[in-house]
Amino acid sequence: MKDIQLGKEEIQKLVLGVLLFFGLIYSYFDLLLGPLSKHQDAVRLSIVALGPEIDSDKAQIARAKQMEKEALITQKTTRQVNAMIPEGSPVAWFPTHMTEFFKKQGIDKALTRMNGELPDKELPGYRKLVWGVDLPKVEFVPFAEAVSALENEEPLFEIAAMQIDASREDVEAQHALLTLNNIVRQ
Amino acid sequence: MALRLNLYHEVIKAKALKRRDPLKISIYVLSAIAALCAGWYLFQLVNMHNLTADLKRVKGDYDKLEPLAKAAKKQEDALTQQGKLSVQLEKRMESRFYWAPVLAEIMQLVPREVQITRMGGDVTGDTIRRCTLTIDGLSAGTDPRKVAEDLRTSIADKFSVKYKNVTSTFKMLEDGTETVMLDGKQMSTATFAINVQLYTGDDKPAAPVRKKK
Repeated sequence: MKDIQLGKEEIQKLVLGVLLFFGLIYSYFDLLLGPLSKHQDAVRLSIVALGPEIDSDKAQIARAKQMEKEALITQKTTRQVNAMIPEGSPVAWFPTHMTEFFKKQGIDKALTRMNGELPDKELPGYRKLVWGVDLPKVEFVPFAEAVSALENEEPLFEIAAMQIDASREDVEAQHALLTLNNIVRQ
Repeated sequence: MALRLNLYHEVIKAKALKRRDPLKISIYVLSAIAALCAGWYLFQLVNMHNLTADLKRVKGDYDKLEPLAKAAKKQEDALTQQGKLSVQLEKRMESRFYWAPVLAEIMQLVPREVQITRMGGDVTGDTIRRCTLTIDGLSAGTDPRKVAEDLRTSIADKFSVKYKNVTSTFKMLEDGTETVMLDGKQMSTATFAINVQLYTGDDKPAAPVRKKK
């Protein structure tokens, strides 16, 4: 084959063509394929990042459902406690309740008054009331039996303090004073 | 040898030159490269479209689940709180200090030579329940102080079985001025005040300082 003799103009065209070719290649990678590839990476990352969050959300929903099922058991005590607390102001029902209780135990006279309220941050929705129960004339054994019955029958009551004094007039009788803490709804 | 003349050699050469034209070949090669690049780009575009569709689907799932998960979290928090409250209420009821056994023990421990004139007690503390009892009384006998001492030690011994860190100390022990009739005999008396401290609860309380009297 005969050698091709290139003229000056042809060489210029050739150089220009080569430059144009490289320019196009550069543009192709930098302006088309590059951004597309970056966008693809970003989308892939987003999909991958959303995966654990979706799993976590699903687990959260499942956990809540499971807890809801178990709530019937775990909140049994709260329901029982709420059922044990009568409706209305405690000042209205507590003294009557105590009088009736001690009457049932054979102690005719019981004077109950509210001494105050104790803060209790650990029991939200509830408060602890402090009551003084004065039993002016009791015999020790019936009194001890009444205390035992009170502690067994009333789980929301706690005797915080007690004072028993022997009566000088009546050897058999004592004067007892109980300080009771009672959990009631707020 | 016969002479053969190719009168078209110039035409043939021109045709061959035209066929092997570097510009034409370059255009073909470049066109092929361009087609490949375009094809690859289209392939990537389709990929991108699929990925975007995936992302849209996943994001849709996430957007649907997120409010449910937030509501579930709130519900879980509320249920946890209610569960804690339930446990706390149960703990309160179970960790109450029971006075009836204390009274029962005292009834059994007090001998007939002793008369209790006053008894008081209070309970303090939440996890460790500290109970302080004061027992005032009158003891009678040939040695009334010994009777009172026996009561004090028996209280400490008996309560130590059930309660922790029990201390039983005399706050006061004095000879009485009165005498009493017991079993047909006049007996001297002593007045006493016993201070009893005992602990219940899960945690171990700090060891109390023992007082000697």
